[in-house]
Amino acid sequence: MSYFRATDPFPLESADQNKLHEFYEYLAANRLVTTACRHCRRLSWPPRGFCPECVSDEIEWVDLPHEGTVHGFSVQETGVPAGFQAPVCFAIVKVGGLRIFGPILGADPATLRVGATVRFDPIRVADDSRGGARHLVAFRSAASDA
Amino acid sequence: MRKVALVGAGVTKFGVRKATYRDLIWEAGKACFDSVPSVKPRDLEGLVVGSVMPERTAFQSHISSLAAEALGITPSALSARTEHMCASGTVGIRYAYAFIAAGLADLVMVLGVEKLNQPVADEAILNMGTGVDRDWEACYGLTAPPCFALAAQKHMAQYGTTEEQLGLVGVKNHAHASKNPNAHFQKGVTLEQVMGSRMIASPLRLFMCSPITDGAAAVILASEERARDLTDRPVWIRGTGQALDGFTLTSLHEDYAHWPAMKRASQSAYRMASIGPADVDLAEVHDCFAIAEIIAYEELGFCQKGEGGPFVATGRSDYGGDVVVNPRGGLMGCGHPLGATGVAQAAEVYAQLRGEAGPRQVADAAIGLTHNNSGMGEHVVMIYGRETAS
Repeated sequence: MSYFRATDPFPLESADQNKLHEFYEYLAANRLVTTACRHCRRLSWPPRGFCPECVSDEIEWVDLPHEGTVHGFSVQETGVPAGFQAPVCFAIVKVGGLRIFGPILGADPATLRVGATVRFDPIRVADDSRGGARHLVAFRSAASDA
Repeated sequence: MRKVALVGAGVTKFGVRKATYRDLIWEAGKACFDSVPSVKPRDLEGLVVGSVMPERTAFQSHISSLAAEALGITPSALSARTEHMCASGTVGIRYAYAFIAAGLADLVMVLGVEKLNQPVADEAILNMGTGVDRDWEACYGLTAPPCFALAAQKHMAQYGTTEEQLGLVGVKNHAHASKNPNAHFQKGVTLEQVMGSRMIASPLRLFMCSPITDGAAAVILASEERARDLTDRPVWIRGTGQALDGFTLTSLHEDYAHWPAMKRASQSAYRMASIGPADVDLAEVHDCFAIAEIIAYEELGFCQKGEGGPFVATGRSDYGGDVVVNPRGGLMGCGHPLGATGVAQAAEVYAQLRGEAGPRQVADAAIGLTHNNSGMGEHVVMIYGRETAS
């Protein structure tokens, strides 16, 4: 038996593992959504199973804009976990009044600024143990679209 | 509520240890029992173990029972493990404190232990990601440094804090650690070395960060009656407070350099202890990154908001200043074996308030504060006194 390392840091996204699986299904279809409470209309990020304001569990998925502005970012140059590649540009992006965490792909740290416009651009990560595709939220500098 | 005191403390050597998880439990337990020879393992009624990730680092859960058996303790009133990421040790002390204050136990050990270093280095870092929300943040490879880098950037932009001021926190704490034989680093660093060390996440360089460290620490808490029997110099728990703003980065205050939960936690503790920030002689604060110590000066009330950079640069947080911050060497100098850190902070305050801290002794120390956090939005504060509250 050889050295064994368990390194799956990605969410279990499929319907049989995750009650928020629709989020990932929308993501795979290039849609950025989150949960809204049907009763008090509270919008949450991340998506949630019930509303912390009115405690209703009647939630619905609403689309968010694909354009956001950088609220803060940090480029990690060394010391990233096993399975990840440095550098990574970690960012908090303001999207439709919410703050959403994700990497900015293709970012140039020399020119990237707080307040810059970025676009939603989901990434595909490692498949799950049964070969199911998995996706995560990510952003790309609007300037690098050209 | 009954009064509660520390009556014993012991710490292992912190570092990259050639020792198993259980070896570290033995070392800290033995050191703690050696500090109070009249207490034997069979005398303890309880054990609380602060430990974050033995499931990953030692493939072991069921920690409190493992540790009790290793130490020869047969709990009759309290046996529990506390996990609150980097604050697990102090959270454990609060549990033991509450049990004793409520009259449910008289003599309880709190032990913090972590074996973080792994044969494959980047797996140790991957493990640190378990303290971050897997589904929404850790899945991108996020660990602590970029989070605290956000706070540092904001503090610099808003208050003019400089990279040199961040570096001076490292210089101070490494200098303190050079007088602590249990510290991970004991050679000290110059400002040039700090500023020339490699970039982790801008503006945080290697020597502005705490390292990945193995270690353990233990303290014994006692009710007033037992404490007075066991020692002529108990160290009294005078106050405690805990407050949270949120878990995920996106749930924290929009100003990443503003940590309101730390202020709330400290205000609870000050109020309970009937003291203010000016009364604190020494503070063991959670300098996981240099910026955390600078913000701690402010949120704990040692200086005004925004003045943390000049506070360290002018020596106000060092010997001869307003308050000696991190005489033990802090997390940057001692290392940060997660669950062990809060307990080691308490052990330092125990030594300082008894006048037993040797070359690190803060002159006439009467009030010591510890601050432990588990992210920028989760804070625990303890206040200890040489004298019991009047």
